[in-house]
Amino acid sequence: MVNVTAGTAKPQEKSINMSPFAIARRKFLRNKLAMISSFFLLTVIIFSFLAPYITTQDITKVNISLMSLEPGGEHVLGTDKSGRDVFTRLLYGGRISLVVGFSCTALVILFGTVVGSIAGFYGGVVDSILMRFTDFVLNFPFLVFVIVLNTILFGIVNGLYVLIGVISLLSWGGVARIVRSKILAEKENEYILAAISIGCKPSKVIIRHLLPNVLSTIIVQATILFASMIVAESALSFLGFGVPQSIPSWGNMLSASQEADVLRDKPWIWMPPAIILVITILSINFIGEGLKDAFNPKSQR
Amino acid sequence: MNKIEAEKGISTKPKTDKEVLLDIQNLKTYYPVKGGFLKRTVGNVKAVDDISFTINKGETLGLVGESGCGKSTTGRTILRLLKPTEGKIIFEGKDITTISGTRLRKARQDFQMVFQDPYASLNPTQSVGEIISEPLKNYKSMSKKDIKDEVMDLLSRVGLPPEAYHKYGHEFSGGQRQRIGIARALALKPKLIIADEPVSALDVSVQSQVLNLLKELQDEFKLTYLFIAHDLSVVKHMSDRIGVMYLGNLVEIATNDSLYAEPLHPYTQALISAIPEPNPKKRKKRIILQGDVPSPQNPPSGCPFHTRCPMAKEECSKVKPILKEVKPGHHVACILY
Repeated sequence: MVNVTAGTAKPQEKSINMSPFAIARRKFLRNKLAMISSFFLLTVIIFSFLAPYITTQDITKVNISLMSLEPGGEHVLGTDKSGRDVFTRLLYGGRISLVVGFSCTALVILFGTVVGSIAGFYGGVVDSILMRFTDFVLNFPFLVFVIVLNTILFGIVNGLYVLIGVISLLSWGGVARIVRSKILAEKENEYILAAISIGCKPSKVIIRHLLPNVLSTIIVQATILFASMIVAESALSFLGFGVPQSIPSWGNMLSASQEADVLRDKPWIWMPPAIILVITILSINFIGEGLKDAFNPKSQR
Repeated sequence: MNKIEAEKGISTKPKTDKEVLLDIQNLKTYYPVKGGFLKRTVGNVKAVDDISFTINKGETLGLVGESGCGKSTTGRTILRLLKPTEGKIIFEGKDITTISGTRLRKARQDFQMVFQDPYASLNPTQSVGEIISEPLKNYKSMSKKDIKDEVMDLLSRVGLPPEAYHKYGHEFSGGQRQRIGIARALALKPKLIIADEPVSALDVSVQSQVLNLLKELQDEFKLTYLFIAHDLSVVKHMSDRIGVMYLGNLVEIATNDSLYAEPLHPYTQALISAIPEPNPKKRKKRIILQGDVPSPQNPPSGCPFHTRCPMAKEECSKVKPILKEVKPGHHVACILY
């Protein structure tokens, strides 16, 4: 039998057999802003994680003779009020900020996706119970909860893990809602009925059929979350309830600006973490925008 | 291949088997309407309201009716993709109305579905090879190579090139996508295929190709079809027997020839009078129905059709007529007979 439509396969597509993800990847690689942002973010990550090989300064040792030195000479970005090298702390701080941001994002996405997809797929009573629980968690006062938990658990568990755990535990609600709404829309497609009728178990329908089709939303959500998690860590550390003071993080470094004379007269102490934080958040958001565009079948680039 | 050649094909088809494959008894499927603060059920949309019919092995039963009359719901309920409210679905002597879990999954090997919308019925993130091999992976313990051979064989049977294996759904036209859907349904060699308006989303030129493919496959694999459509000429071309549905009820069921030659139910008469006549010189009487289809949430009392029936009598609104055999093999639910 002859296929009358054989000739109408899109001729403008150079490479054939592209999955939707391959198409998205190509679109993303052509997005200049997103590529520059990715490059910057990658640089920040590499520098932060190679910190021990880049500088040999001590990040915790207080040195009274080197207090509040201006930038230049041995200390490229100067020293802070305890005589510690700002550049070194910036690199190590990036490490902590990125690790906290990344782990929180991963946990939040994992938990939110599991809850959201189960609620969306099964609907009915399961949906009601899970979503009311989600509402309940979303209603916790974030800041108060973090402060209380941090205080209770201080000294029992490593402060960093407490922070990651508490932030993740309180933030998955939004992701669960978004994933649920996407799954609700996606499961109305006939290919889901087809998957059930060809004998897929519910778990397989969710993992193989539903999640790949809402993955673009989840990825975009993850980038935005990553940025906001870094901000959350910084904000908490700035207030003194985040990462323990002994560990440098961008937020901890920023908290030095709470002192008026540092804020007014010693900008080298707080400007570097502020600038790097802003640019990092911006570039993560640009990457998110780029991904959103890339996954949108209607945008042609 | 054009339609005339294909029409010849039906008349030669043997129809000796009279074994019942599927027996539907008093099937009802209601969609609950939730309302109010506590989301209580305040009513039911009676999508399928008490229908009974049987399908014999090897035959094609066509199901026609206008939009929203419950054709698709019937098909989906039989596959147990929807939960029946009442009634029995008996497949090969086994009651599949209430089975669930693993037993239902096992039973599903024998009945498959071809879907209406070829654009929504293929997972966009899977390649054609993955789509067609998935049912085999779910049920058969076959080696990777065997599965691939099987998929290649299915591709050639539905008239797709072997290169299609690595392509994705979006690279195909509607007709080709429908072929992929047919190959997926065929993969498990089912006994019954429910085709839910398989050609209504396709161009007319492609429709006949897909219909002929379905016919060829029926002969080759000894398939039984429940063919759901709203296009009367398509149903006439495909079916051995035809059921006419109105507002969740089966109003008439008869053999193809009998139904078109002598429609008995006033609704069927109106439907058949609406088939376009290719010859402009030949004038025919067109029965035009008044009013709209009543809401299935609150169907009329008595005969569901009495609000629009040109021959309605007073008692029509009181007594609900049951389906009875008026002539051999010709059942109708109307008090006139």
